[in-house]
Parts: sequence; structure tokens; C-alpha cells
Amino acid sequence: MTGLRKRVTVGFLSIVCLLFFSGMISLIELGHLSRDTGEILKANARNIELAKEMLDAAHEQNVALIRLSVFGDRSRDSLCRASMDRLENTLLVAQNEALDKSFLDSLAFATTELRIVTDNYLAFGDLRSRSDSLAADSLAGRPDSLGIRWYNEEYDALYGRLTAAIKNYMTSTQSSLAPRAEQMKKNAYRAVTPVLISVAVMIAIVLMLLYFLSIYCVSPIERMNKSLGDWLAFRIPFNVKGDLKDEVLELKERIETLINQSKQPKA
Amino acid sequence: MRVEVVLRYVGVVMLFMALFMLISAGISYVSGVDSAFYPLLLSSLLTALLGAFPLIFVGRCEQITNKEGFCIVVGAWLVACVVSMFPYLIWGGEFTLVNAWFESVSGLTTTGSTILNDVEGLPRGLQFWRFSTTWIGGMGVVMFALVILPSMGRSKMMLSNVELSSMARDNYRYRSQIIVQILLVVYVGLTVLSTVLLKMAGMNWFDALCHAMSACATSGFSTKNASVAYFNSPAIDTILIFTMVAAGIHFGLIYATVTGKRNNIFRSEVTRWYLGMLFVGGLLIAVSLYAADLYPTLSASFRHGMFQFVSVVTTTGFATADSNTWTPFAVIILIFGSIVCACAGSTAGGIKVNRMVLAGKMMRTRLKLQQHPNAVIRIRLDGIIQDNEVLHAVMIYIVAYLMFLLLGTVVGALLGIDLTTSFTGSVASMGNVGPGFGEVGSMDNWSAMPSAFKMTNTLLMLLGRLEIFGLIQIFLIKWWR
Repeated sequence: MTGLRKRVTVGFLSIVCLLFFSGMISLIELGHLSRDTGEILKANARNIELAKEMLDAAHEQNVALIRLSVFGDRSRDSLCRASMDRLENTLLVAQNEALDKSFLDSLAFATTELRIVTDNYLAFGDLRSRSDSLAADSLAGRPDSLGIRWYNEEYDALYGRLTAAIKNYMTSTQSSLAPRAEQMKKNAYRAVTPVLISVAVMIAIVLMLLYFLSIYCVSPIERMNKSLGDWLAFRIPFNVKGDLKDEVLELKERIETLINQSKQPKA
Repeated sequence: MRVEVVLRYVGVVMLFMALFMLISAGISYVSGVDSAFYPLLLSSLLTALLGAFPLIFVGRCEQITNKEGFCIVVGAWLVACVVSMFPYLIWGGEFTLVNAWFESVSGLTTTGSTILNDVEGLPRGLQFWRFSTTWIGGMGVVMFALVILPSMGRSKMMLSNVELSSMARDNYRYRSQIIVQILLVVYVGLTVLSTVLLKMAGMNWFDALCHAMSACATSGFSTKNASVAYFNSPAIDTILIFTMVAAGIHFGLIYATVTGKRNNIFRSEVTRWYLGMLFVGGLLIAVSLYAADLYPTLSASFRHGMFQFVSVVTTTGFATADSNTWTPFAVIILIFGSIVCACAGSTAGGIKVNRMVLAGKMMRTRLKLQQHPNAVIRIRLDGIIQDNEVLHAVMIYIVAYLMFLLLGTVVGALLGIDLTTSFTGSVASMGNVGPGFGEVGSMDNWSAMPSAFKMTNTLLMLLGRLEIFGLIQIFLIKWWR
């Protein structure tokens, strides 16, 4: 490559490219980091939302079943079934969205158990409701002793297991936080290292540029200036040594020509 | 000294490194854009920029002085070690700053020690980059630069002064430009031949190429955690023994033998000593292993004993067995082999057989002179009378070599490392061998070693590769006349 302007331009353009390059790298990597962080927070919020929905559905069903089994309130039948459906649908959504499905296994098992027990009770309740004694108890507002026994012995334990599974699911994102944080740390390292290396390369290039400008531009001009000053002041011959090239060499040759011309006697 | 000229030619070497990074990125791309693609591509761009920059300002140079040539060689080695860290650092994983430096220096000096616990966990692109560093290093970064530096005229030889031992240069008996061609033909030819043979023996193409590159560079990097033991194939062991032995012979002699010249392998005194040492050492180890009932048959003992001895003498460092469990006699022979190593003019490190033969002859001469004080006895090697200056240099080199081994051991001991590990680790690093004994045995790695010990050993690797005084003189460059 020839020409001082071209060389200096290419030199500076290299630095600009590198600056742009490292800027782009940090932008992309920080984008990845931000996306990962956002995903963790979003997953956490969604997890809590779904767990709340499931707890609400379970609680609603629990209240309906108490009314039904203890007081024989048959009007709660449909609410009970609807709550169970709501619980199952939310579980299905959670299963579809979850990255790690292992946390949902116990919850799915508890829900299935509860569904079987509830369905059996509701079917059995239909048969019992046709009996005269239960209808009389219901009308008199007396508690159903058989229903209470069923609730205490069969349903309550399953309900407890279900709510525990939901709470476990709710805290599952906290449990997976450590590997995610580790991943984020790795991503942060990957974001920083290329930029650091680019900066190191850039420093090396800037130092080289400084050195080349110094030996090819600044020093020759300083030498020429000194030599020209010596010639003008003391008539010491103009003699600039060193590796000169491009316009600097041209300048030196022109100065020499000018000096030679001025030495010749005027006509 | 013209620093700009040094920068220009070091820049050319950087461009070579960038090219190999790009090839590795290509392999990464072919392997389904694995996780090494982006780090390799990025490193390639940065290295290319770093290498191309001085070329913008500094033009071709007709003459290079001795001092400049020396600085180009040492500078190229050091800068190549730095830039080859880039892909490791960007990729992350097990590569911390110290680990990346260790792996990089180990590759380029063809030592073959690793800090990786799980080599097989590396993506293919990065695997290939490891083998590229070792292959480039084996040939000598500067030898590459010489091929594409047509403008250097009479000064070409200056660059190889540091790279090759002075005896190796004398033995070549060719002009410097032909030396480069010979090196390339032998090196590439041996790599291709070895790759094809390993493929035929049952390796896949990737493993075959990588192991051939490693064997020709006498490095010892492997694509498997269990090194060559993973393949458990006598055919593969035999091919690798052949490649390692060939890579440990003076390349000029291999070329002369293949082209039917007179000064060939069979007439070389040094090569006879080298081959004799390999056979006797391997046999002694085999007998020792068989006598200790470590292997059921003599042939199995011979196979493992010979492979391991050839591996350490040629400074390769492949392993087919855990030599830590071998008999003390076998271990001491292996340590002896790690110190003596192969011939000058090959890619191997260590003291080298040439110097050991000369040292032996000098001792014999000393004994004769005590019996006949007035006798004039000339020491010859391959029929050539050796100058006193050469003999003097040989002894100084051996003393300096042993002193640095001692220094490395002392540093290891200071850091609380057991004596076996610190001594054999220093031997393995200084001779560019790779595996030692103790915690850095043939089936172990350097990951558990303290960072200070790793750094000390990288220094030993560089000292060994640059023939000790090559590296030391860079610090005394100001006083050169």
C-alpha cells in the first residue's frame, strides 16, 4: 500500500472496525444475557401464577366437598366438578410450559388420586341422595356422619398431599435457580471475554499505529525541520538519513531541489 | 534493530495462525455449527487484523540482520502462544486464563500436556484447533513464515538459527530454501501417510487426521481421554510407533533416504544410536514388565513397553497404559528416555541423541588423554571432525538443561508438590515430552496442579523448544553487538 494518507486512513479504519466489532459483540452478548435473565424472571412469575390458580381451584373444590359431604348440599356438585376440571386444566398448561417436568410428576399423581376419589364419592353420593334417611337429615340440617368419616379418612389426606405438591411446584423455580445462575455466569463470561480480547488487540494495534506514525511521519519531519533550520542558520548541508517513503520522501527530495536551486547564482 | 521489520514478519506468522483458526471454524461449521464456531471465527478475525496491520505500513525487506531474525523467531513463538489462547478463552469451559495459556504453549511447543479433564467433551472445531497448534508448532511457526517470505534473500538462514540446533543445520548440507521445502515435503508426506494408515487400521477420518498430526509433530495430544489406549488396537499402536520413530529422525536424512541420496539414515551414526536406544530401551522395559507379571505375555509386555518408550523418547507422549503402575526399573528407563529424547533436525525436543553421543565421545577422549597426555584426538560425528566450539556448546547446553530441570523441581517442591511429580513434570515440560509420573502420569492431566507450577512449566516448555539460549537471549538483546 502506498501513500501516507491511505496508510493512515487504513490504520485508523482498522481501529474503528475493531471498536465497532467489540461494540457489536458486547451488544449481542449482553442481549443474550438480558434475554436469559428475563426468561428466568418470566418463568418465575408464570410459575407462581399457575400455582396460585391450582391452589384456588383445590381450595374451591375443598369447600364445595365439605358442603356436600358434611351437609349433603347437592347444589355444590357442579362446583366441585368444575373446580376439579379447572385444577386439571391448569396442571395441563403447567406441564406444557415447564422445562423441567420432573417437579410436576408428584402433582399430577396427587391430582389423579384426588380425581378418582372425588368422582367415586360423587357417584356414590348420587345413589345415597335417593335414600330417604339422608334426604331427611339434609332437610333437617343435620350433619352426615358417613360423609364426615369419608372426608376425614379419605379425602383430607389426599387434599393435603395435593396442596403440598402444588407448593413444591411453586418453589421449584427457586430450586432450579442455582444451575440457571451458573448458566448466566457462563453467559456473562462469554459476554465479557471477547470484548476484553478485542480491547487487548485494539491496544496492540493503537501502539503499533503510534510507532509506525512516529517512525514514518513524525521523526522524518522533525529531522528535516532540524536539518533545514541548520542549513538556513549555518549553511550546514541538508542531509536527512533514515528510511523515508511516500510523501515524506517526496518532500525531502523537493527541499533538496529547492536548496540546490537557491545555491545556483542568479542570472 | 528495525522493530518494524520484526513486526512485519511476526504479522505474517499471525496470518498463518488466523488461517488455521478459520479452517478449524470450517470444521466446526461442518459439524453442525458447534459451540466452537463463534469463538474460532472471532479469534480468526482478531488474529488476522493483528497480523495484517504491520503489513499496511512496512514493505518487503531485502536484508534481515542476525538480531532481527532472532527477534522474529522468538517473537513469533511468544505472540503465537498468546493468540492461540483466544479460541480457548472465548469458548470458556475448563479454560481459565492460566489453563488457556498452558494448553496453548503446550500445543505450540509440541509438549502435549493438557489441563482438560474431559478432552472428549470439546467440540470438534476446538479439538481441531488444538491439533492445529501442535502441527504448526511441530514444524516451527517460523518455518511456515519462511515459505512465504520470498523477499528475504540471503537472510533466510537467520530465522532458522534459533529454531534448529546448530548441528542439525550443519547436517542438512542444503541451501536454506531447500531446507524449508524438505521439511514441508517430509512433514506433510508423513502426516498424510500416517492418516491413511490409521484410517485403514480402524480410526474414523477425524481421529486418524488428528492423531497423525499429533504423532508427526511429536506432540501427544489425543482426541480421547484415555489417549491411544482407548483404541486398544495393535495395528494402531504399530502405525503410531512407525510415525513417531520417523518423526524423531533428522528430516533431511529421511528426505535423503527417500530420494536415494548417499547421506541417508543407514549411514548416519546418530540415527543408529537413536534406533539402537529405542530397541534396547523398549526391550528392557518389556522384560521388566513381563518379569513383574504386569502383562500375561511377553508380546503384550513388548507392545506396551515399546510404545511407551518410543512415545517418550520421541517426545510425543501418547499412552497405551498407565506407566505409573509399572516397575521402578521401567520408570527410570522412561525418565532417562524423556531426558535424552530423539535426533536434532526432527520435531522432537530434549537434549537430543546428537549431544549425548558427542558427550559420550568427549568422556572417552578425556579418559584416553589421561593415558596419553600428548595425544591429539579429534572427535568425529558421522565422519566429520567436530570443532571445539561445538563440543563446548554441547557441554554447556547439557549443564544448562540439567540446571533448569533442577530449578523446575525446586519450584514444584516449594509449591508443595511431591518430588516425583515436580521432577518428572519438569522433565516432561523441558523436553516437550508431555506425560511424567506421579500426579502428571500418562493417564492424568495437569488440571489439579497449582497455577504457579503450570506457569513455571510453560516457561520450561518454551526454554526447551527454543533450545534454552534462544529464549534467554531475548532478555539480553539490548547488549547484542
